[in-house]
Amino acid sequence: MKKEMDVDDHKLELPDLEAKYSTSITKGLVGAVAAERLLRDGPNELRPPRGTPECVKFGRQLAGGLQCLMWVAAAICLIAYGVQEGQGDRGSADNLYLAIALIAVVVVTGCFGYYQEFKSTNIIASFKNLVPQQATVIREGDKLQINANELVVGDLVEIKGGDRVPADIRIISAQGCKVDNSSLTGESEPQTRSPECTHDSPLETRNIAFFSTMCLEAGPHPDTQASPAGTATGLVINTGDRTIIGRIASLASGVENEKTPIAIEIEHFVDIIAGLAIFFGATFFVVAMVIGYPFLRAMVFFMAIVVAYVPEGLLATVTVCLSLTAKRLARKNCVVKNLEAVETLGSTSVICSDKTGTLTQNRMTVAHLWFDNQIHTADTTEDQSGQSFDQSSETWTLLSRVVTLCNRAQFKAGQENIPVAKREVIGDASETALLKFAEVTVGTVSEARGRFPKVAELPFNSTNKFQLSVHAAGDRQLLVLKGAPERVLERCSTVMIKGQELPLDAQWREAFEGAYADLGGRGERVLGFCARWLPAGTVAAGTDPEALPEVAVGLCFAGLVAMIDPPRATVPRAVLKCRTAGIRVIMVTGDHPITAKAIAAAVGIISEGSETPEDVAARLRVPLEQVDPRQARARVVTGAELAGMEPGVLEGILRAHPEMVFARTSPQQKLVIVESCQRLGAIVAVTGDGVNDSPALKRADIGVAMGIAGSDAAKNAADMILLDDNFASIVTGVEQGRLIFDNLKKSIAYTLTKNIPELTPYLIYITASVPLPLGCITILFIELCTDIFPSVSLAYERAESDIMHLKPRNPRRDRLVNEPLAAYSYFQIGAIQSFAGFTDYFVAMAQEGWWPLLCLGLRPRWEDTHEQELQDSYGQQWTFEQRRYQQYTCYTVFFISIEMCQIADVLIRKTRRLSLLQQGLFRNHILVIAIVFQVSIGCFLCYCPGMPNIFNFMPIRFQWWFVPMPFGLLILIYDEIRKLGVRRHPGSWWDRELYY
Amino acid sequence: MELNAASPGGKRLENKDEEKVQDLDTGEAETKAEMGNKTWADLAGEMKTFLWNPEERTCLGRTAKSWGLILLFYFVFYTCLAGMFAFCMYVMLLTLSPYTPTYRDHVAPPGVMIRPYLNGFTIAFNVSERSTWQPYVDSMHHFLAAYDDKVQEEKNIECISGQYFIQGGNESEEKKACQFKRSLLQNCSGIADQTFGYSRGQPCILLKMNRIIGYRPGAGVPVSVDCKVQKGNESDLGSVDFYPGNGTFDLMYYPYYGKITHVNYTSPLVAMHFTDVKRNSLVPIQCSLHGKGIVNDVNSDRFLGRIIFTLSIGK
Repeated sequence: MKKEMDVDDHKLELPDLEAKYSTSITKGLVGAVAAERLLRDGPNELRPPRGTPECVKFGRQLAGGLQCLMWVAAAICLIAYGVQEGQGDRGSADNLYLAIALIAVVVVTGCFGYYQEFKSTNIIASFKNLVPQQATVIREGDKLQINANELVVGDLVEIKGGDRVPADIRIISAQGCKVDNSSLTGESEPQTRSPECTHDSPLETRNIAFFSTMCLEAGPHPDTQASPAGTATGLVINTGDRTIIGRIASLASGVENEKTPIAIEIEHFVDIIAGLAIFFGATFFVVAMVIGYPFLRAMVFFMAIVVAYVPEGLLATVTVCLSLTAKRLARKNCVVKNLEAVETLGSTSVICSDKTGTLTQNRMTVAHLWFDNQIHTADTTEDQSGQSFDQSSETWTLLSRVVTLCNRAQFKAGQENIPVAKREVIGDASETALLKFAEVTVGTVSEARGRFPKVAELPFNSTNKFQLSVHAAGDRQLLVLKGAPERVLERCSTVMIKGQELPLDAQWREAFEGAYADLGGRGERVLGFCARWLPAGTVAAGTDPEALPEVAVGLCFAGLVAMIDPPRATVPRAVLKCRTAGIRVIMVTGDHPITAKAIAAAVGIISEGSETPEDVAARLRVPLEQVDPRQARARVVTGAELAGMEPGVLEGILRAHPEMVFARTSPQQKLVIVESCQRLGAIVAVTGDGVNDSPALKRADIGVAMGIAGSDAAKNAADMILLDDNFASIVTGVEQGRLIFDNLKKSIAYTLTKNIPELTPYLIYITASVPLPLGCITILFIELCTDIFPSVSLAYERAESDIMHLKPRNPRRDRLVNEPLAAYSYFQIGAIQSFAGFTDYFVAMAQEGWWPLLCLGLRPRWEDTHEQELQDSYGQQWTFEQRRYQQYTCYTVFFISIEMCQIADVLIRKTRRLSLLQQGLFRNHILVIAIVFQVSIGCFLCYCPGMPNIFNFMPIRFQWWFVPMPFGLLILIYDEIRKLGVRRHPGSWWDRELYY
Repeated sequence: MELNAASPGGKRLENKDEEKVQDLDTGEAETKAEMGNKTWADLAGEMKTFLWNPEERTCLGRTAKSWGLILLFYFVFYTCLAGMFAFCMYVMLLTLSPYTPTYRDHVAPPGVMIRPYLNGFTIAFNVSERSTWQPYVDSMHHFLAAYDDKVQEEKNIECISGQYFIQGGNESEEKKACQFKRSLLQNCSGIADQTFGYSRGQPCILLKMNRIIGYRPGAGVPVSVDCKVQKGNESDLGSVDFYPGNGTFDLMYYPYYGKITHVNYTSPLVAMHFTDVKRNSLVPIQCSLHGKGIVNDVNSDRFLGRIIFTLSIGK
């Protein structure tokens, strides 16, 4: 799967190539051969991988751990119903309702989950958008338009500006053809394509154009450039899935999605819950059998215990909490595709970030100038808010004039009111940077150009490596020239220092070399500028451009200008925040190591004072091999080094150097880097925009794609999309992710607590034979109706401390549900709630005539359907139905008790450590609304007519609402004591046992 | 980008499984990927260590001291909770009256029961076979023993018929009960006809109303009883004689004051003598109470203000 591209066609001579593909580079293939090959190789398109059938996916949603338990419970209900109905027993419809309710719960949550899964679309679909539809092919000497998917290996195709390259092709002839490889390699600059082989690597060489890359429109100056730019002829060497994009696509879709940390957490504790439910159920099944209940009854007990113990509403709560955070993130320009990814960002410990467009602005900008033997810093901020440099020198006047005039780029018309930085420009990246720089520092460029009309010019080419133009300036002419600094210097005889033209002697040459090396070392692209005044008429209009270099000698050197794609203003702070939050930021880029290192240093990925082994070697003047890697915090690793590494070495390097930069990496290598980090136990976030990033994005625990610059493939592979392409948004995401983890913990603690007061009625019912205090349907109402909103409202809780100053959680140690949380919820708060419920139950029973001691052991007579004159403690006689309504009253009273205690519970869950008063009792408005809602639902269920016979709720006496309140108060006070102990005595026994 | 060189990625993936084993062996950072792949043997081993770890001398992850502390904590915690519960129960019991229940939300209006009641609401016997109806007769005699004229005269007083027997005074004072003599049931008293008509195929069935403290049935007008065929031919029933009176519960037996003060209270009865029931068939009969405040038509409760039973009399 992860084999890198193995192609040597670019190194073959044309005749060999013809022989290899048995074709002709003039006439193309014979039609019959083409048809044969089409049959052999299949159509030239990307094949989607075989997916899991939809029904299997849906089935999987219905067969989770808890779901299976619920199915068993529903089955038991149905069996019990069938048997009771068979015995002619009336009033057994309860079991039927319960079965239906349980099945409905499973199916609805299943549909919910399936919908979530369904939304994440097929990744291959995004690659399809890149694939060309039509291709111009030469077969048997005739030029044809055919569907691109009918192309075969050996076909001779023509491409022109605006086309997508229809397959991987070896260029045979080209005129000014440039392709945009950005989607494939991340390089944002257009790449020239020509017939010569310029590099051993097929990805680097100029004579191969890749399937799906864009052939650019003809050059920026159609008016001055007459040559038929942007066309090429080539031979197809790979089609369909064997092309490089096909390989990336299959790589991306072949990468299995890692389970998100939150999914692992939830699975972990669902397993525990399911295990405990079965354990409790089985225990009491045995107990019931031993006590002497019939088998069917014991099964019903088992079912009831499962229903009571399983938190049916939990998955819905978690999903809603996550989607609320996702919504909040969406407002901050982070669109979350996969809900669970919200939390993943919070537990992220490593971010592998792409450079271009994520950390940088993705536009060349003038960063430094060297003139008057001094390096000046230009303003590189996005909104030109930074400091400018001293512009009073006359050298600057000359330099700025050269920069303005020796430039073919121009603004598109009608943008006068737009800030310079945002204007659109016709021209390549460096010329654009210079144009904008001139516009900002000097003033209107078009005006200056108007004053010095162009007489003649020689455009840049790769042989000369410079560009020059001659302008009329009144009675003189001005020759301006820019280009590669060393080539420019060759043509200079003087240098301008503070307005004085000084001879260019060895001293100045040394100064120049120093400045050039300095700027180059910062990863910047350096251009030299020079000029010379000529007498009028030296160059006549219409002079052959090729003759111009002869004039351009003995020039006066003006200065150097260095450009870079500067980091975004917000990034250094964001990187620093990540550091304080214990997150390691690793740069993984396709760009050059020097540039990568410079940007890494600028944004703080390599912090100040950190050295790479190379730096250490240079400082100590020892060979690189003798440098102790521990002395170097930082390290830059190139793709070439990576390719030569033994397995396991990379992990060692990642461990040894906290600050890492990977440069010149291929898509496969990005994948390897991510996997290595994951093998070290890290939770890895990957940011990227190109197609080449998509496998790594998919492999990462959370892939973050760029919304503006990002390709569809990257967006599809990612879990999250940054709409503003801003790395700083990731920090917001991390913060929200950590918050939601904390809040989910609270939410789950709240949800779990009530399982104990739901469970204990059955335990007492079975062992002490009291009339049943709480029914299954009532339990489902608590789980799925009244308590959902409060548990969700905890997602709105503010952070208790500065969560961005903590280390990322250790996924093996800091679990979502840990032992203290379960113990505290179950055995302490849950126990208090149970006592509250039983108090209210016994009060309601006693006040209606059934004293507590009479209740014990009453169950067999109480539930005897033939017993129509059962005596209570006062000698009154009750029919079965009257007792049933009394039992429903007990259900309702117990229900109200749990609700009252759950109000106290939701309040205490607001904080885990801080006092409730420190957190603010009413600051979370949603929570207040949720409590009001919960009480209203409780009232509705109690007092709505018709409820007794539908849902077993009875209108209860007003005072029974108050019976559980002392216990609610106890919960509040006890938890405050707990928190006080936790705060006062960190690390103590109390803290260890009671802090969750 | 040395694409032609052997890729570390490919190799790495193939070696992944080996590496996992190595990682586990050396105790190196164990990652998420490995967590799911434990064998049963590993699990069993872990379980064993969890149950009893001889190195750290821990059971279920805790040392003896730790267990002691946590158990002590929970002992104190639950003792306090139980104390609070007991206190609440105590306060609640203090507020309860032993004579009158605080509320009677679900016990009124009264339910109805019949005698004989052996095992269900079908009374089936063959006139010619004594053994089929003797249990019913025995049950009736047993039930009516408390209504023997002698017993009633001894324990209870004669009351004024036609009005409620309201006894004021202190709630805790013992209340008098009115006589309900068995002889009032005449043909169904079992005095003249020791078989309550069962030997002749004309069975007597007694109807009683459930006791409710303070309840005054009929609001001044005695509650009466009537019977009809529940489903089927009305003529199957024939005529029914009611004793005493015309099948009414006299007002003087109400209200009831509870089992502590109203010790000798005997529920009034209405006897129904089915003299002409169709033989050799199942006759479902519904007997209902009639009176103000009596509810006898609730679908869900078939014993509230009415009762349904089946007579099946064979030759």
